[in-house]
Amino acid sequence: MNKKQKYVLIIALILIILTVIIWISTGSEIFTKTQVLVEKKDELFGWTEKQWIKKFVWGLDLTLSIDFVTIIASTIFFFIFRRKNKRN
Amino acid sequence: MNNIFKFLSCLLIINSLISAQSFKVKAEDTQKFIFSEKIKDNQITFSSSTPLEDVNGTANSISGTVNFNNSNFEKTIKSKLVVNVKSLNTGIELRNHHLQSANWLDVSKYPDIVFELISISGLKQVADNKLTFNAKGNFTLHGVTKEIDLDAEAIYLTENDQTQKKAPGDLLGISAKFKLNLSDYKIDNSLVGNRVAEKIDVKVTIVGSNKL
Repeated sequence: MNKKQKYVLIIALILIILTVIIWISTGSEIFTKTQVLVEKKDELFGWTEKQWIKKFVWGLDLTLSIDFVTIIASTIFFFIFRRKNKRN
Repeated sequence: MNNIFKFLSCLLIINSLISAQSFKVKAEDTQKFIFSEKIKDNQITFSSSTPLEDVNGTANSISGTVNFNNSNFEKTIKSKLVVNVKSLNTGIELRNHHLQSANWLDVSKYPDIVFELISISGLKQVADNKLTFNAKGNFTLHGVTKEIDLDAEAIYLTENDQTQKKAPGDLLGISAKFKLNLSDYKIDNSLVGNRVAEKIDVKVTIVGSNKL
């Protein structure tokens, strides 16, 4: 494993760990959401209602998609750099 | 003589208890409240909880009527409410599309969810303008009609500056809660790998006006 291949592996690992950390810290939702429900009190009747507000929530689907692309890209780069290494 | 007096006293107490169980508001006896999309914030919320995923959603296209005679609320109340399935929103466009597809609620075949009141019981007066009761009605979902029971609360607000911000006229607010089993309505939740619970919690908060 040459230096470039090591860089590829480290960058890929950092990206994967980063996406997982973001996913866990934003509530470990299965699906990515662009709107969420928040409670709102109706002053007239005294009951609570729910209201959609625009909010981006990072989901497992997005995490896995980014991780999949990262793994494919890093594998390709890993092999490209291996060939170059052999030629050198 | 003493017995007759006791009997009459009992009748008077019973009568006062029965007559107390209606809205004590300045309003005509015969009331017709219309529920429509024109009134803001009318909604039905539904939630499903499974170990894998919680699904929460709303429906806002609700229409219908509630009629009653205030002199005898319990015996005269009639209601039919319709929810447009297309207004169901779970916060994810793809999931909404799936929810309305032929595999689930099949909106093209069954565009509406309908609740038709049969009777109410256990009427209690919580405040002058607030009643709680148990309602029995026919609930139609996915083309299947089942009788359901739900706990409900009705609040009557006479027209004032605050109510006019929501809608003209006197307002009738109804909140209710009930649970429904998907399999009762021929909806197969195993199609999505049981990511949706068999039992769905439903909460209704709707407001109708007598001047719409």
